[in-house]
Amino acid sequence: MSEEKPIIVLENVCKYFGNFKALTDVNLTVQKGARIVVCGPSGSGKSTMIRCINRLEEHDSGRIIVAGNELTDAVKNIDAVRREVGMVFQSFNLFPHLKVVDNLTLALKLVRKVGKPEAREIATRYLERVHIPDQADKYPSQLSGGQQQRVAIARALCMNPEVMLFDEPTSALDPEMISEVLDVMTELAEEGMTMICVTHEMGFARSVADQIAFMDAGEIVEIAPPSEFFQNPRSERTKLFLSQILSH
Amino acid sequence: MIFEFGLIFGSIPKMLTGLGLTLQLLLLSSFIGLVLAVITLLMRISGRWFLVAPAVVYIYIFRGTPILVQIFVIYYGLPQFEFIREGVFWPFLREPFWCCILALSLNAGAYVSEILRGGVLGVDKGAQEAASALGISKTQSFIYITTPIAIRLSLPAYSNDIISMTKATALASTVTLLDMTGVARTIVAQTFAPYEIFISAAIIYMVIAWMVQKGFGMLERRMSRYIKATR
Amino acid sequence: MSALAGWGDDYFWGAMVILRLFAVSLIIAVIIGLIGAAMKLSGNRLAQTIANAYTVIFRGTPELLVLLIVYFGAAVTLTAIVQSFDANVKFIDIPPFWAGAFAIALIVGAYMTETFRGAFLGVDSGHVEAARALGLSNFQTFVYVRIPQMWRLALPNFGNHMLSLMKDTALISVIGVEEIVFVAEMATTVTNKPFTMYIVVAFIYLCITTVITLAVMLLEKYANKHLVGGK
Ligand SMILES: Nc1ncnc2c1ncn2[C@@H]1O[C@H](COP(=O)(O)OP(=O)(O)O)[C@@H](O)[C@H]1O
Ligand SMILES: [Mg+2]
Repeated sequence: MSEEKPIIVLENVCKYFGNFKALTDVNLTVQKGARIVVCGPSGSGKSTMIRCINRLEEHDSGRIIVAGNELTDAVKNIDAVRREVGMVFQSFNLFPHLKVVDNLTLALKLVRKVGKPEAREIATRYLERVHIPDQADKYPSQLSGGQQQRVAIARALCMNPEVMLFDEPTSALDPEMISEVLDVMTELAEEGMTMICVTHEMGFARSVADQIAFMDAGEIVEIAPPSEFFQNPRSERTKLFLSQILSH
Repeated sequence: MIFEFGLIFGSIPKMLTGLGLTLQLLLLSSFIGLVLAVITLLMRISGRWFLVAPAVVYIYIFRGTPILVQIFVIYYGLPQFEFIREGVFWPFLREPFWCCILALSLNAGAYVSEILRGGVLGVDKGAQEAASALGISKTQSFIYITTPIAIRLSLPAYSNDIISMTKATALASTVTLLDMTGVARTIVAQTFAPYEIFISAAIIYMVIAWMVQKGFGMLERRMSRYIKATR
Repeated sequence: MSALAGWGDDYFWGAMVILRLFAVSLIIAVIIGLIGAAMKLSGNRLAQTIANAYTVIFRGTPELLVLLIVYFGAAVTLTAIVQSFDANVKFIDIPPFWAGAFAIALIVGAYMTETFRGAFLGVDSGHVEAARALGLSNFQTFVYVRIPQMWRLALPNFGNHMLSLMKDTALISVIGVEEIVFVAEMATTVTNKPFTMYIVVAFIYLCITTVITLAVMLLEKYANKHLVGGK
């Protein structure tokens, strides 16, 4: 394979909350088009890791490089990284006081300086992509959880990011709504979107991921393609986790 | 004792001659107070100690002392100093009206800034994080996300504060102003019918309080469309 | 500050007066608040209507007017009653301290009513059901489950009501009680230093409200200690 430049590199990243070490020497390389699923027990640092990637958290040591920009205190770099990285949260985090379409267009107008009609056009296109073109003029509270999360995905996609980060996008959803969100994510993956996705949906991981990373106690314990990860987990901690998560 | 209802209705028109002054006190000091409150709030949340400290001290002093005492300090107290008597503000500070406006505004500023701060702190962190993740700057996020949500959250407490302000304007009568309470007190001094006259005044104040409450209630419902919305 | 020499005693005794007034009004206000809340929560239409009218009236009327109505109204009423027995009596004076205490208690009692009612309703009905399911009697449930939670819920508002009450005590200078505002007035006529004299009053109030605030904070910490730690 030709040496293409990876889009995200984490090198020996450490992160403390006070005295508590949330990330310990995390190393991760993400190539363009890669689909990485991150799993691991609650509190293992999954959210912290992906929040460091777009600087919602600041790492304390090590290097994080996204699309050629190293994340430092430099505001310019942070802005550059956030332009390339879209994020979807567990709790949707839609702007409650704005209609769906305005949720999508706000950043286009403020950050990308796109004109109003064009912004609306882009928003409509992405709402179609997540299969809810008819909800544009509703408020988030008028939608179901699954619809809200799809709006959140569309909102991130509007900015035309290189990479999408998902932090447990289906954990807050009622079971019957999980698949509508996973379907949208699968379509995205098929279109070649680079994504890092924290999830415990092992079916999704198996079919979509090309790498699965297992985190525990702030470390990436193991990272492997799905077949290997499920059939021959190397570490005991991974085996234990898999036995717990797959047993029901 | 005969309770004269006739006197109540007869005195309401007289009382209304003081209504203008009451409303002037209320509207002017609410407006100035709101401006002060926003400035104080921005200082308070600026995170810079030399802005935070004065804001905190200001709020602490004005919330910790009675408005009546503040009015007296300003109206009776300030002329003690020669530089005040010879200063440019003397034409205002010698007038009880402007002294009341000053005291009421400073008071409102302190209370309302705390109300607004409550609103700002009540805004869900998630929405702000989402804004950051989209590359929206801190300032833009404050203007487009935090402010509208915080205003909606502050509205009920703000409405109560305006009602408190309405009641506080009655203190103007203690420094010779003929607001509604001032008028009522002079009528009582002449007729010595305290129940009838004071109750008439109280009724008008209650009507004002009721209108403030209804008005803000309507505003709140308008602004809550995004919350109450049904599926 | 030398102007203050010789007035220390007067301020001290004045401060004692407002503290006594605070204590007396607080007790009456709590009693009124409990009765008011009980009436609002009772199934009785009449009781509810009376309690509702009470809270609406006393939250919508300026504190100063309530004081004037109680003070002068009581004087007129009592005079009329006494005169019906003995026509020679000209006028009955009401002790202004007690008129003030009642007036302030009536005002703050209206707020207490709402707070106590809210706290009663705020207790998770699941906890009450759980207690009943465990075999606790109605009374035991009330004492061991409801009261401890109620007071935790009521405490923040209760603290604010105490602060309002404290600040309302300044009003009684208007009806001639010899407290600290009165002392400042006297001292001003002698020394001609009004600012100094009224600032002392403000300072005394600030000290007292600070103590109340700190006390409430301590109580809240104590009341919420079971919530700290586990999220
Ligand atoms: N803002 C924070 N302050 C303090 N500790 C935090 C903070 N955020 C996360 N943590 C801690 O860091 C650890 C990892 O958290 P997180 O990354 O959210 O885990 P995960 O997403 O894998 O469940 C947890 O122990 C959590 O308590
Ligand atoms: Mg997490």
